[in-house]
Amino acid sequence: MNGRERILAMLEGRPADSLPFMPITMMFAADHASVKYHEYATDFQVQAEAQLRVAEDYDFDYVSVISDPACEAADCGACVKYFPDQPPALDEANALLADKRKLSTLKPPDPATSRRMHNRLQALALLKQRAQKEKLVEGWVEGPCAEAADLRGINNLMLDFYDDPGFVRGLLEFVLDLGLAFGKAQAAVGAEMIGIGDAAASLVGPKFYEQFVWPCEKRLADGLRAAGARPRLHICGNTRPILAKMGEMGCDVVDLDSLAPMAQGRSEMGPDQILLGNIDPVRVLRNGTPESVYEAVAECHRGAGDRFIVGAGCEVPRDTPAENVRAMARYAREHPVS
Amino acid sequence: MGLFEEMQQAIIDGKAPVVKELTEKALSQGVKPGDIFPQVIIPAMNEVGRRMRDCEFFIPEVLIAARASRAATDILRPLLVGDDVARPAGTVVCCTIKGDLHDIGKNIVAMMLESSGFRIVDLGVDASPEKIVAAVREHRANLIAMSALLTTTMVNMKAAIEALDAAGLRGQVRVMVGGAPVTESWARLIGADGYGKDAPAAVELARSLIAA
Repeated sequence: MNGRERILAMLEGRPADSLPFMPITMMFAADHASVKYHEYATDFQVQAEAQLRVAEDYDFDYVSVISDPACEAADCGACVKYFPDQPPALDEANALLADKRKLSTLKPPDPATSRRMHNRLQALALLKQRAQKEKLVEGWVEGPCAEAADLRGINNLMLDFYDDPGFVRGLLEFVLDLGLAFGKAQAAVGAEMIGIGDAAASLVGPKFYEQFVWPCEKRLADGLRAAGARPRLHICGNTRPILAKMGEMGCDVVDLDSLAPMAQGRSEMGPDQILLGNIDPVRVLRNGTPESVYEAVAECHRGAGDRFIVGAGCEVPRDTPAENVRAMARYAREHPVS
Repeated sequence: MGLFEEMQQAIIDGKAPVVKELTEKALSQGVKPGDIFPQVIIPAMNEVGRRMRDCEFFIPEVLIAARASRAATDILRPLLVGDDVARPAGTVVCCTIKGDLHDIGKNIVAMMLESSGFRIVDLGVDASPEKIVAAVREHRANLIAMSALLTTTMVNMKAAIEALDAAGLRGQVRVMVGGAPVTESWARLIGADGYGKDAPAAVELARSLIAA
């Protein structure tokens, strides 16, 4: 089986020669290709070449266009700081919606003509062409809570949940439209799966997650599926209080970060949900040994059961030893799926 | 419910206008400003920290509680100038380290420390070693709280500690570090004095470092 077939077999509940291996790589991929991260995040050819190379050299089953949280926000006009060799980041001191009144005049950018979103679409098209049918090609959108935080400033947004819930609802509607348009454009150029990265969702607690965030994530996931892409939900941080709701969303894949035990994810989401993760990216993957990484993946597998994809809790950090990433791959390849 | 209990509850519930009103009421009834910190604000924020640690409170609740406590401290601070009882527990320079713009964790630590009686010098995000050294010198700080969210930026914590050394200030200031990729062993490796895994832990660490 090739990587794409392996992932599709898992998604469709069929046997496979091994567990799929889908670690998130961004800076690790750029370093592996000896390119600066600024080029990786902003030049689709650089990113696509780096993804193909890291996937080939480390035996990943997929390639992805995930790069940084600022992609959509930059095209909305947000103030983004660029660094030579680390991810672009939002400048909260100059948040686009520091003045809430601006929301009413903000227009969602068109992914086909906007600089950074269009760059991502080009990366997808190139990966689709180059990966052929060997690797699954994954798109990526910022989730609703994370995108709202990118535009409003995360500190402001957290207070808005109490101070101005009507504004939060309006903002979430805006970012939902943005995410749907971007996701549909990605599906149209060949993304078979689309990750929804909603890091800020783990900060708001179960009450606001259920009332505000989850309904938007659900509509986004449903919209991506309707466009022909399989949704993958990735929420960084401690998601233990919201695991059950995450499982109710119906995403093909749910990632768990290392703070949420696989066994708890399995018990709260039921036997059918495919879980991806979740060894500690820094303490285990970056700082550990091949043996400790292998054992940590085994523990994740035991907690998750067979509906499981090997990966770390979040991005494979820069400077992770190559042999530690290979230890994850080795675990995956040594474990067929019946 | 007594007035102090009512004030504590209003802080925990994040009701800033109520806290302001009750603080003014307490003062009008002759309560000493210096009594409100130890008997109202510190215990209330300790409870907020406990609830955060136990996953009863999340970031929005912590932020509105910290804002409510500030409604009291803004009234009290001018009244406490020169009052020995109200001397700050310590002066803390807080920042995210050079190259890192992710500040919500640092902000929460700073607010929790302030509500626990520390004086805060907040350098914001992307603070260079030189800026940290200058702030320690200018404000005679005895603590630094540095945060990083990225493995790419946390290396700059080491540069900041080396700059303190080079400036001859390392002996007068304790350094605590935190952030998602930061670990206890990283703190030891770079010569920091402690690692706080979350905001409540950072407050406890700050207290212990000052007491040591």
